[in-house]
Amino acid sequence: MTPKIVQKIKTAGINTLKSLWITTPILLAVIGLVGLFKTFITPQMIHTLFNKNVIHDTLIGTTAGAISVGQPFLSYIIGGELLQEGISMYAVTAFILSFVTLGIIQLPLEFSIFGARFTIVRNLLSIIFAILIAWITVITLHYLHGFFT
Amino acid sequence: MSQKKSTAKKSGMIMLSIVILLYIILYFYAPQKIFASLHANLKLLKMIAPILLIVFFLMALLNSFIDEKSIAKHLGKESGVKGWFIALFGGILSHGPGYIWYPMLEELRKKGALDGLIVAFLYARSIKLPWLPLMISYFGITFTLVLSFYVVLGAFIQGIITNMLERK
Repeated sequence: MTPKIVQKIKTAGINTLKSLWITTPILLAVIGLVGLFKTFITPQMIHTLFNKNVIHDTLIGTTAGAISVGQPFLSYIIGGELLQEGISMYAVTAFILSFVTLGIIQLPLEFSIFGARFTIVRNLLSIIFAILIAWITVITLHYLHGFFT
Repeated sequence: MSQKKSTAKKSGMIMLSIVILLYIILYFYAPQKIFASLHANLKLLKMIAPILLIVFFLMALLNSFIDEKSIAKHLGKESGVKGWFIALFGGILSHGPGYIWYPMLEELRKKGALDGLIVAFLYARSIKLPWLPLMISYFGITFTLVLSFYVVLGAFIQGIITNMLERK
């Protein structure tokens, strides 16, 4: 290894540690909030938000997904239960999508790293596309179901 | 430390202080739940620590061996189809919570990666390969395939919209 490469690695290591040092407080804050949400916001609370009106439930599904935190499989379990209770597939799909693409509690972190403009554009697009993809997925499934039966 | 970095550190410290204060207040209201939250935090930290190490190792590599020119070539304005391919498949294959990828993605942006590709990467992350079998068992294979297809398409369209907004 040439001294030039060693120097490059050294500088890169220092820069990376600096980035880690800057990110650590807000990362710990987000982890702390995730822990609080996991304990205080229960799946039962999410259930009570739906009222079986398709448009209302799709919007609620998107919002509930955005405020929920946890591993993706949690959204499948909650989504599966909501379906069994008669909540529309539109709402459940929107919920599953926004669960993984939106995160209200990580917004401050996103904001501080990427800046306001990028964060606003990305999150607005994610909200719109959670609703759009939910609708188009369910419509496609209806067509496919009709096609194969 | 640059102005932006110092602001980021300051806002991070403020937010951490607010969260600690929240824990202290809620401890008097529901101590059991606070212990459960702390337990959940520890579990999450254990889960993300290895991924975080990988992300920061990748950042170090990025800083030392990949210059602005090659980022511009692979993820910049001249990247074309290859750039979309890297962003979409990178997103699908990436693990862990999205926020641990933010510092590395910002590093790529600084070096000239297109915002649209970063947006596409983050959206494509909603396809969670390890969890697909569970999704299939809950909602069926047709639903999973159709949703995954639209997620990739959606990620691509969002990327294009972001790039169009960027040009304005």
